[in-house]
Amino acid sequence: MRERSYGAGFAQVLGALVLAFLVLPIFAVVPASFNRSSFIKIPPQALSTRWYEAFFSDPAWLAAILTSTKVALLATFISLVIGTLAALGLERVEARTKGLLTGLMLAPLIVPVIMTSIALYYVMLDIGLHGSVLGLALGHTLLCMPFVVLNVGISLARLDPSLPRAAAGLGAEPLYIFRTVTLPAIRPGLAAGGAFAFITSFDEVVISIFLSGVSAKTLPIQLWEQIRIEFTPVAAAASTVILIATVLLFLLVQFIRSRGAT
Amino acid sequence: MTTAETSREQKIAYPIHRAGRVFATKLASREAIVTCLLLLPAVLFLTGGFVFPLIKLFTLSLESEGGTLSAYREIIGSEVFRAVFVQTLILAVTVTVISVLLAYPAAYLLSRLKDGWLTLAIYCVLVPFWISVLVRTFSWMLLLERNGPVNSTLMWLGVTDQPLKLLFNDLAVHLGMIHVLLPYAVLPIYASLLKLDPRLLQASNGLGASGLQTFLRVTLPLTAAGVAAGATFVFLLSLGFYITPMLLGGFHNLTVAMLIDNFVNERLVWPLAAAASFILLFIILVILAVAARFLSIGQMLVTR
Repeated sequence: MRERSYGAGFAQVLGALVLAFLVLPIFAVVPASFNRSSFIKIPPQALSTRWYEAFFSDPAWLAAILTSTKVALLATFISLVIGTLAALGLERVEARTKGLLTGLMLAPLIVPVIMTSIALYYVMLDIGLHGSVLGLALGHTLLCMPFVVLNVGISLARLDPSLPRAAAGLGAEPLYIFRTVTLPAIRPGLAAGGAFAFITSFDEVVISIFLSGVSAKTLPIQLWEQIRIEFTPVAAAASTVILIATVLLFLLVQFIRSRGAT
Repeated sequence: MTTAETSREQKIAYPIHRAGRVFATKLASREAIVTCLLLLPAVLFLTGGFVFPLIKLFTLSLESEGGTLSAYREIIGSEVFRAVFVQTLILAVTVTVISVLLAYPAAYLLSRLKDGWLTLAIYCVLVPFWISVLVRTFSWMLLLERNGPVNSTLMWLGVTDQPLKLLFNDLAVHLGMIHVLLPYAVLPIYASLLKLDPRLLQASNGLGASGLQTFLRVTLPLTAAGVAAGATFVFLLSLGFYITPMLLGGFHNLTVAMLIDNFVNERLVWPLAAAASFILLFIILVILAVAARFLSIGQMLVTR
């Protein structure tokens, strides 16, 4: 490469600033959560962990964590099962059908979430799913499943088609081939798709606003209400907990992915 | 492997024996049944949990007291509601333009980095995808507050004597939305920069073009598809934005999503909410149809 122009250097500095803009503001909740006074302030004047004590001893927050975990686990489970089956099925149909079906599976990501939310709200009120863990999980699955279908699809596309054929030629049963050849190959896709499905459900706000009711408040809904009504440092503590848990999950998935790649 | 391929192979394997051919067609139809069974749960789930509720919503939009299409007529005819749509479109365009302008240098930097630095920089783009939009928006509320760090820095720098009103206005909504949507623009542009053949840049350089000329006449045209994909994503997503404008905006920062929420929760007029939703969806589908020439949606979403 020849010597780069000033323009290229400038672009890179600007790029670095943009990356900093993407990441640094997110962590503003961390110092705010350690402030001792009862109003939110950055930087904090005196450090304290009282808002974390308040967070972890408040039954409302704990119930919200529990509800969110239940909903996210259920949504992830449903997404993984039907999403993986769908990804396997998509591999076996012709291109036109595959395009149409993929469009159907990704449609919930294109239709505005507010629209899906009010439609689900309307239907679920009628059949009694409104305000239930199952109702929330089914709603979230719409947004979670596409990531399973896509990630497993990529893993499947990377799998050498001669491997399962060879196994079949050697007389292996289809289920045995799935367990010993296909499943190990799609494991990174399952991990990435599953983790992203979990976090998508765990963080979902708009569908939950409409489906939560009073009986099944998720953690983001509890946070949403706190931010809009009370604006106390407990919200910053809750945000920090969510933030740390999410970053850990992200790093875990990157670790699994990098191991899958080698 | 497709079912068509399988049956062809089976036919080749049993060319003469009739029994073999019968066996082959049996196998082929069994394969087709398995394919259907694999796809069935997802298709049933989406039909019942997504398509059906949307159809219900559509019938609701036609059930206005004033006649079949009166809800649509009311929204399109009302100056207030039209203004919300126009305002949402303008917001989406502004956010998209700024996002793409910021995303390009970031993507360019990514394409230049290697090894550890590359991993770190990519994490900077990917981590925000994973972190709750609510937490990110809340962070901006803390930063832009009256007594927040942005205001104290501005005062320390002598830019202003007293705290500025940075929150609950256009500025905050734009900042928050660009922050949330920027990664969607960075990734496709980065992907298109990676596909760029470095020999073309060398050739342009060798023929005496300046850095700017090379960028404008080689790099930019060859990465236009990535830019179009990123812009489409940011634009479509910002049209339906709800949480960020709700928390960071003031009374006048009304988006279509907030209007729909208002129809449902405050004014209890379901036909209007449904009609507004379908008008928004119509706009989105038109844009998507135009953009479909440039991009594959599936490909863009998996980089996460």
